[in-house]
Amino acid sequence: MTEIIHHIPLWYLPLLVILPITALWAGVAGLRRTARRKTAADRDPDWSVPPLADEKQGGSFLHKWDVRCKIVTILIFSFVVASLDHLAAALAAVVISLSVAVMIRVPAARLMLRLLALAGFLGMLLVVMPFTVPPHSGDTLVVFGGVEWLTLNFRGLLLAATIAARAVAIAMLMEPLLSTAPLPVTLHGLCRLGVPEMAAQMVLLSNRYVHVFSHEARRMSAGMQVRGFRKRTDTATLRTVANFLGMLFVRSFERTERVFDAMRARGYQGRFPEPVKLRLCASDLFICLAWLTVAAALVVWDRIIL
Amino acid sequence: MHISDGVLPVSVTLGGYAVSAALAAWSARRTTSDQLPKVAVVTSAFFVASLVHIPLGPTSAHLLLPGLAGALLGPVAFIAIGLGLLLQCLLFQFGGLTALGANALMMGLPAIACGWLFQALKGNTHMRHAAAGAAAGATGTAMAAVFLAGFLAAGGEDFFGVAKIAMAAHVPVIVIEGAVSALTIGFLFRVKPELLETGLVTPKKESHD
Repeated sequence: MTEIIHHIPLWYLPLLVILPITALWAGVAGLRRTARRKTAADRDPDWSVPPLADEKQGGSFLHKWDVRCKIVTILIFSFVVASLDHLAAALAAVVISLSVAVMIRVPAARLMLRLLALAGFLGMLLVVMPFTVPPHSGDTLVVFGGVEWLTLNFRGLLLAATIAARAVAIAMLMEPLLSTAPLPVTLHGLCRLGVPEMAAQMVLLSNRYVHVFSHEARRMSAGMQVRGFRKRTDTATLRTVANFLGMLFVRSFERTERVFDAMRARGYQGRFPEPVKLRLCASDLFICLAWLTVAAALVVWDRIIL
Repeated sequence: MHISDGVLPVSVTLGGYAVSAALAAWSARRTTSDQLPKVAVVTSAFFVASLVHIPLGPTSAHLLLPGLAGALLGPVAFIAIGLGLLLQCLLFQFGGLTALGANALMMGLPAIACGWLFQALKGNTHMRHAAAGAAAGATGTAMAAVFLAGFLAAGGEDFFGVAKIAMAAHVPVIVIEGAVSALTIGFLFRVKPELLETGLVTPKKESHD
C-alpha cells in the first residue's frame, strides 16, 4: 500500500466536512426558494397551456435549427458527455453547455431549477463517496483523529465531482433541447426519426393532463386545508393522504373515460394532424457537424491527451 | 430516488434503453392500441400523485408508487412509468436524459411484478385487498431500491458504499409506501371496486364501440 496518509485531529471534522456541507445545504435551499418564486408567476395561473411551447422568444440559431438535427445532435452530445472520464473534460462540457444556454437566453431561474433538482442526488454522492471509496495505491487519504472508518479519500471526491460536472452539463442542455420549439414540433421531429407515433401522442396527452390533474389536486388539497387538515408525522396523515390519492384516482379515471369519449366524438382515429412540415437545409447539417466535431474533440482530449 | 445523468457507465445506460424499449413494446402489445391514449391520461394522474410529499420527522419523502401503479394498471404500468419519467425529464427539471432507460427499468420492472403479486394475493374481502396493497406497495419500493443499488454498483467497487447507503435510505420509504398503498387500495375497494378488478385498461373491455 503506497497511499499518502495525512493524520489530522478529530476536531477538524466539523471545520472541513460538516461546515461546508451545511453551508451547501443552506445555499441550495435558499436558491431553490428564490428560483421557485421567480418561476411561480409564469407557472401557476394558466395551467391549461403547456409551458414548453415557448414561441414568443425565438431567433437564435437553435430556434431555427431543424428539430431532427437538434434532437440527434444533443442526444449524441449527452452520451459523449456521460462517457467522459476526467474532471477537466467534464468541466469543459459544462462550459460548452452553459455557453449554449446563454446564447439562446434561457431564463436563469429555469436553468437554476433544473440544476437544483439534481442537488439532492449529487449532494449525496459528494458527501458519501469520499468516505466510502476503497483506498487504492497512490490515493491521498485524510484520517480524522485516528478513527479508522472516518477516512476521507480525495479520489472519491474527484470521482463525485466528475459525476456532478457530467450531470450538470447534460441537465443544462435540456432547456435548449426542449424550450426552443413547441412540444408538438419536438415530438413530430422524434416521430420522423423513427419513434412510434403513438408514443409521441401519449407524451402530448399526458403533458396536457398533468396540468389538469395537478390543478384538481391543488383544489382538493385547498379544500382539505380549509377543513383543518395539516400534515404531520402520524397515522392520521397517512390515512388522509391515502384517501386523497384514492379520490384523485377515482376522479381522474372517470375523467379519462370522458376524455376518450370526447376524442372519439371528434373523429379521433389514432392520429393527430402534423404540426409543421420539416425541411432540411445545408445550414442545419453544418451546425450538426460543427457541434459533433466539438464532441469528438472532447473525447479525444479526454481519452488520449489527458 | 432517480439516477441522474453521468453516474452510470455508458454501456449500462444504452443497455437500459434497449431493454426498456423492448419491455415497453411488450407492454403495449398487452392492450389494444386505441386504449393507449387512456394510459397516457392515467399516467398524468399517477404523476400528480407521486408529487405528494409525506412528512417524515424533520424531512419529507415523496411517494414512488410503483406498487400502486402495477396494482391498478397491470402490465401497461411499464409504459405509464416510462412516460412519467419522460415527462419528469421535460417538465419537472429533473434531467436524467441518458439514464432514462435505466430509471424506467428501475421503477417499471417492480411495477409489473407488483401487478402480478397484487392480482395473486387479493381476495374478496376488504382486509385481503388492503394486505395485498401493502405487500405490493412495500415490495415495489423495495425492489426499486435493490435495482437502484444494482445499477449504482455496476459502476465498479467505488460505488458499493453509495449503493449501500442509497438502499438504507429507502427503508422508511418502503414502510410509508406500504401503508399508503394499503390505505389507498382499501379506499378504492370501498368507493370504486371495479378499478381493482381489471384495472382501467384491458384488451377485453369494449365499452366504446
